[in-house]
Amino acid sequence: MKLDTKSLVLMAVAIVINVVVGQIAVWIKLPLYVDAVGTVLVGILAGPFAGALTGLLTNLIWGLISDPVAAAFFPVSLAIGLLAGLLARAGWFKSIGMTIAAGVVIAIVSTIVAVPIIVYMFGGVTGAGTDFATAYLLAVGQELVQSVAIANLVQNLADKILTCLIAWVIVKRLPLRFTSGFAFYGHSKA
Amino acid sequence: MAVAHPSGADHALLFVPGQSVMHRLNPLTKLTCVLWVAVAAFALPPQGTIPLALVAIATGIFAGAGKVFARRLILTLVPLSLALFVVHGILVDHAGDRTVILGLDLSHDGLAYMVRILGRIAALLSGSLLFVCTTHPARLLKALDAHRFPPGMAYVIASPLLLLEPFTQRARAIREAQMARGLNLEGSFLARAKAFPALLMPLVTLALADIDHRAQVLDGRGFRAMPHRTVLDAPRDSTAQRVARWVILISIPFLIAGGILWH
Repeated sequence: MKLDTKSLVLMAVAIVINVVVGQIAVWIKLPLYVDAVGTVLVGILAGPFAGALTGLLTNLIWGLISDPVAAAFFPVSLAIGLLAGLLARAGWFKSIGMTIAAGVVIAIVSTIVAVPIIVYMFGGVTGAGTDFATAYLLAVGQELVQSVAIANLVQNLADKILTCLIAWVIVKRLPLRFTSGFAFYGHSKA
Repeated sequence: MAVAHPSGADHALLFVPGQSVMHRLNPLTKLTCVLWVAVAAFALPPQGTIPLALVAIATGIFAGAGKVFARRLILTLVPLSLALFVVHGILVDHAGDRTVILGLDLSHDGLAYMVRILGRIAALLSGSLLFVCTTHPARLLKALDAHRFPPGMAYVIASPLLLLEPFTQRARAIREAQMARGLNLEGSFLARAKAFPALLMPLVTLALADIDHRAQVLDGRGFRAMPHRTVLDAPRDSTAQRVARWVILISIPFLIAGGILWH
């Protein structure tokens, strides 16, 4: 599948948005990653293939420049971009209510993809804040996989709903002359 | 497509400039080695992964990247070790013997599993650090271009690497400007959450504003007019390195088989 030049430029900028917005979340000490805004944005504007490629490259580039561990989570980012595009095609980004529902779906799927990576590659921990929740759930009698899944699902729900809402607000504020260059965006117009 | 010159140190990159053997190797040779280490990290037991990590760390120090290695390994492995110790050493109900030390009921199998995971991550991390510390992205892209990588894909990989530093600076400038206007980044969770859009929106709006212009400039230059790009100063390659890459790739199935037998 050959993407047009404008979509390629959007993908490149979206990768930078992912990294820098993730950095802003660290600056203000948000307990969320918010590092997939650009990926969801590309999914809404350019479709599932471009979204998936943006997600994949974000983590590989992130791994290349500063955090090699991030590269291990590339399937999660790929799934987020792919799903954002597929949901956009189905009209899930037409209204704020549908966007929140899209965030819930993306959170559930990204948790399903992330849990095997966290459990089998990292032994159930990542060195991040969710480890406290995982440890608590283990202490109250849950199994490891269940503990990791619950802890990550709770965080992902907040993270991905916020991510989808931010992407939706940005897209709705974009001028018509900009969005008219992306035919795929027609699926998300109210 | 213009790419940054690989001689200077960029703040957004882990790359450490130098002239070591690792720096001089073709990026694709190093990338093949990273692939081998990634497979070995999963195939081998701790008796294999820990020495592998130590060799990579020693090579990194020899290449002049000791500080970067120390910082990244401490930042990643210390919190992971603590979390693995609590989760697998104490909380997870592993089969086998348990010992009480300093009032902590520790699982032998849990601690062995902790060492296995730490050895795996140390090998993965030190192998990939060796690559990123000794390979400037521009050299990697030139190597990919020299091996007939499609220009559209090369742009999507190269452009973020070049845009990252100016965008990070722009985000810092927006943060300083908003703080000068009274934005509170150190207050309660609610205050910090409210500050998020004030930092995010100007940055994203600016980022998206010049997409049309960038696309027009690229099309004007006909950057995808030819199926492959010609590289004037491609990273040096040699027959020995080409053979080494094939040997490494062919050895991977044997590595997996050997790992299974070792376990």
